[in-house]
Amino acid sequence: MRNDVTLTGDRLVVEPRGLDKLWGLRRQIEVPLAQVRGATYDPEAFYAGKGLRAPGLALPNAKWVGTFFRDGQRTYWNVCRGGQTVVIELDPSAPFARLYLSVEDGRALVDRINAAVIG
Amino acid sequence: MGRQRGYDEGEVLDRAAATFLRAGYEGTSIEELVGATGLHRGSLYQAFGSKRGLFVSCLRRQVSEHPGSEDTTDLVLVALLELAPRDEEVRGLLGEHLDRRGVTATDLGRRLLTRALMDETKDDGDA
Repeated sequence: MRNDVTLTGDRLVVEPRGLDKLWGLRRQIEVPLAQVRGATYDPEAFYAGKGLRAPGLALPNAKWVGTFFRDGQRTYWNVCRGGQTVVIELDPSAPFARLYLSVEDGRALVDRINAAVIG
Repeated sequence: MGRQRGYDEGEVLDRAAATFLRAGYEGTSIEELVGATGLHRGSLYQAFGSKRGLFVSCLRRQVSEHPGSEDTTDLVLVALLELAPRDEEVRGLLGEHLDRRGVTATDLGRRLLTRALMDETKDDGDA
């Protein structure tokens, strides 16, 4: 598990754990729920193309942490192989197009985020 | 909403619906949806927001364009079993459709048995 994800009031807060803060140069990502379009449990996303890394850590087949650019989109990844990866799609006004995160109990988190976004 | 064009949304929804019908909601991975629709993973997320968003779009299309079809009833059954218990929007959508079409619990149960090849009206065996 590489990230703590919490829903507080009208915001979604992602906090990378331990040294992942350093590798990705991000202590925290905070997004208004109004900018969250939905979440999906997607473990196979770990193997998807990530694009150009800037900045971040790439250990293929092990872990990816940081900001990546692909097809004109800026995405944030903090995933490890075999982890429970969730994908959070954000509005164009958000700092990233989407977040790819390894988390604990991915399915439950996805349900909580989607319920908060719809509600 | 930043939705990418260059593909036929109706065709994407039909293919995705067929995939959900075959494997259910939880049983369908994003990888399978990518394969079925031909969209890249990022484009799929950009267009529909999430797997849930894609499923809801499929459900809306089915109930509005083919309200009386068996595929629609089957997708409704998938939604009732897997999403409705934890998704208020899906519950509302299903409730409206069932009310409008006058679909009863008996109708749904019969369709479920038919899908399972256990329709008693077709076979009076001792199952």
